[in-house]
Amino acid sequence: MTEQFVVAPLVVALLGVVLTLVLRRRPLVQRAASLGGTVAYAAAVGLLAWRVVLAPDAPGAAAYQLGGWPAPFGITLVADALSAFMLVIAAAVGLAAVAASIRVVDRANQRVFYHPLFHGLLVGVTGSFLTGDLFNLFVWFEVMLLVSYVFVAFYGGPEHTAAAFRYLVLNVFGSAVFLLAVGGLYATVGTLNMADMVRRLSDPVAYGIDPAPVGGLTALLIGTFALKAGLVPFQFWVPGAYRAAPLPVAAMLAGVTKKVGMYAIVRLFFTVFGNAEAGVDLPWIPGASPLALLAPLLLAMGIASILVGGFGAVGGDTVDELLAYSSIGQVGFIAIPVAVAAATTSASLRRFGILAALVYALHHALAKTLLFLSAATIQGATGTNRLADLGGLAGRSPPLAGAFLVGSLSLIGVPPLTGFFGKLFVFEASIRRVVTTPGAGGMAGLAVLFLGALLTIAYTTRAWLGGFWGQAPPAVERARIDPAQVAVLVALSAVVVGVGLGFDPVYRFADAAATAAVDGSAYVETVDPAGGDPV
Amino acid sequence: MTTTMMKTTARIVVPIILVVALSLLLQGHNLPGGGFIGGVLTTVALALIYVAHGLDYLESGVLDREVESGAGIFQHRTVLAYRKTFVFGLAVVAGSGVAGVSFEEPFLTQAFVIVEDVPIYHEIELTSALVFDVGVYCVVVGGLLTILSVVGGE
Repeated sequence: MTEQFVVAPLVVALLGVVLTLVLRRRPLVQRAASLGGTVAYAAAVGLLAWRVVLAPDAPGAAAYQLGGWPAPFGITLVADALSAFMLVIAAAVGLAAVAASIRVVDRANQRVFYHPLFHGLLVGVTGSFLTGDLFNLFVWFEVMLLVSYVFVAFYGGPEHTAAAFRYLVLNVFGSAVFLLAVGGLYATVGTLNMADMVRRLSDPVAYGIDPAPVGGLTALLIGTFALKAGLVPFQFWVPGAYRAAPLPVAAMLAGVTKKVGMYAIVRLFFTVFGNAEAGVDLPWIPGASPLALLAPLLLAMGIASILVGGFGAVGGDTVDELLAYSSIGQVGFIAIPVAVAAATTSASLRRFGILAALVYALHHALAKTLLFLSAATIQGATGTNRLADLGGLAGRSPPLAGAFLVGSLSLIGVPPLTGFFGKLFVFEASIRRVVTTPGAGGMAGLAVLFLGALLTIAYTTRAWLGGFWGQAPPAVERARIDPAQVAVLVALSAVVVGVGLGFDPVYRFADAAATAAVDGSAYVETVDPAGGDPV
Repeated sequence: MTTTMMKTTARIVVPIILVVALSLLLQGHNLPGGGFIGGVLTTVALALIYVAHGLDYLESGVLDREVESGAGIFQHRTVLAYRKTFVFGLAVVAGSGVAGVSFEEPFLTQAFVIVEDVPIYHEIELTSALVFDVGVYCVVVGGLLTILSVVGGE
């Protein structure tokens, strides 16, 4: 019996695209189908997570050979705890974003392919998380990007077109570099099936692999994935693109699409290249291996992201600009524990670093979605997002203010919200690194984490003071706040609180995901790519 | 570009392109070809007709129907047909992938059957991959021609 549940989220999202396209002449049915499709998607993801990880007798991982072709030849889908964890994030954000879109995005614009594109975004994200093939990962990235281009240009004004064009040019360049790296890796390693790559790289001499080009090509991959994740110095597309896209989609881009970049880094550098040697001695990097190369680069990018994002957000004029910069900084918070995990030689700290990054990614996805959707509600009700023109929203709509407060407090890291555990683990990983191997890089990382936390308090306070307290200007007085949107926000804040209160199962899930991320041999065992060996 | 030279060239070349496109589509399972390249070639043929005769020719010249003037390019009957082709193709592609699942095989699994003793052809290989290819063909033709005519209309 093939394990159909592995492919289920992908098929459900694909059918969502078709269904919403077919129904585009009946807007009401189309919206219902879009919401229903996302609910079905969340159910499929839940089933996958249950069958793979959470059930008492779960195998921990499952491989799925598309079209029945055996492993190194066909395309393999691999659902392990890491993929399942990321899919759960995507499903949670996707569901909230679609539910909000139905009310937030105006009717005429929803008819213009909004819903099919949204499901297309889900298809791309799902494929990226599930695939066990490097070239296929490239294809899913492209699916995701093609849809994102349309969404950034969605409103069609001059500033949207400009943002979309910048986004397009940058990502076409990034994709070209990615493709170059994929081609190079195929030429040197002789396979693109990730499990097969693990197997061959663990014994490079037997397969005639020259480790030096592998090291260089992986450096190219770091660049592309950092571009997708919006890490400094590749962050400049982020504010424009997020402000141009419809706000529920911005939530999806910040909450999920960015995480795909971080996921790709974790999957490739820890699972696939975890044991590979780079074979070149770089003067300033000890113990030449792709991971050793990743560590200082990611640390530097993480530090720069926290600084640029934090200061940018403090200076933001509108709620969405503030949130866009904030998401640059928050990805830095995810990058630093990954860098710690890459730098360390201790197996337990490596696992813990990934765990911290995953918990932080979950927290950021939930909190940032909540905040972006609140911004959408504010925009819809008052017609503006400028902090200078807002004020007094707390008196106008206490539930809306409450949702924004929960999101902000979670971003700051106040217990018992999800963000508290995210921050706690990120700091713990960083401190453990500094304690075990004192060094300038680790200290700088820790110091910037502190500074970043302070900046987070500063800019969330600023948004709160500007938007919710004080005298209500006429725009706010006249505002009609949509109760359905507020209901979505309240539900999402309940999730943020609930995940923090009932954190134990989430911790075990994230722990299983981190274990899967660093265990290349279990990955190989799941996929079983032995078909490529000459007999 | 609606010169006599262009029209004459189109008249000769378009049928040849269409036949080649069709053969590429049909042989795609075992030989070079397939839905994508067949679809692109078909688009090229129709683009040639557009260049030679203009956007309304398929409606007025081929199908002999009235063309309503004044409506936007998105309401143009040909463009609507292209969009339907695109959606239909996508549904066929998804459906052909799911078909394997209903036989408890992995998603996208294909099968074939060789029919023997067919007059003239002797034997024909019927493949389920052809259904997938036809879906891809429709997506490519519908999508590319929608873009082409909308951009061309502006």
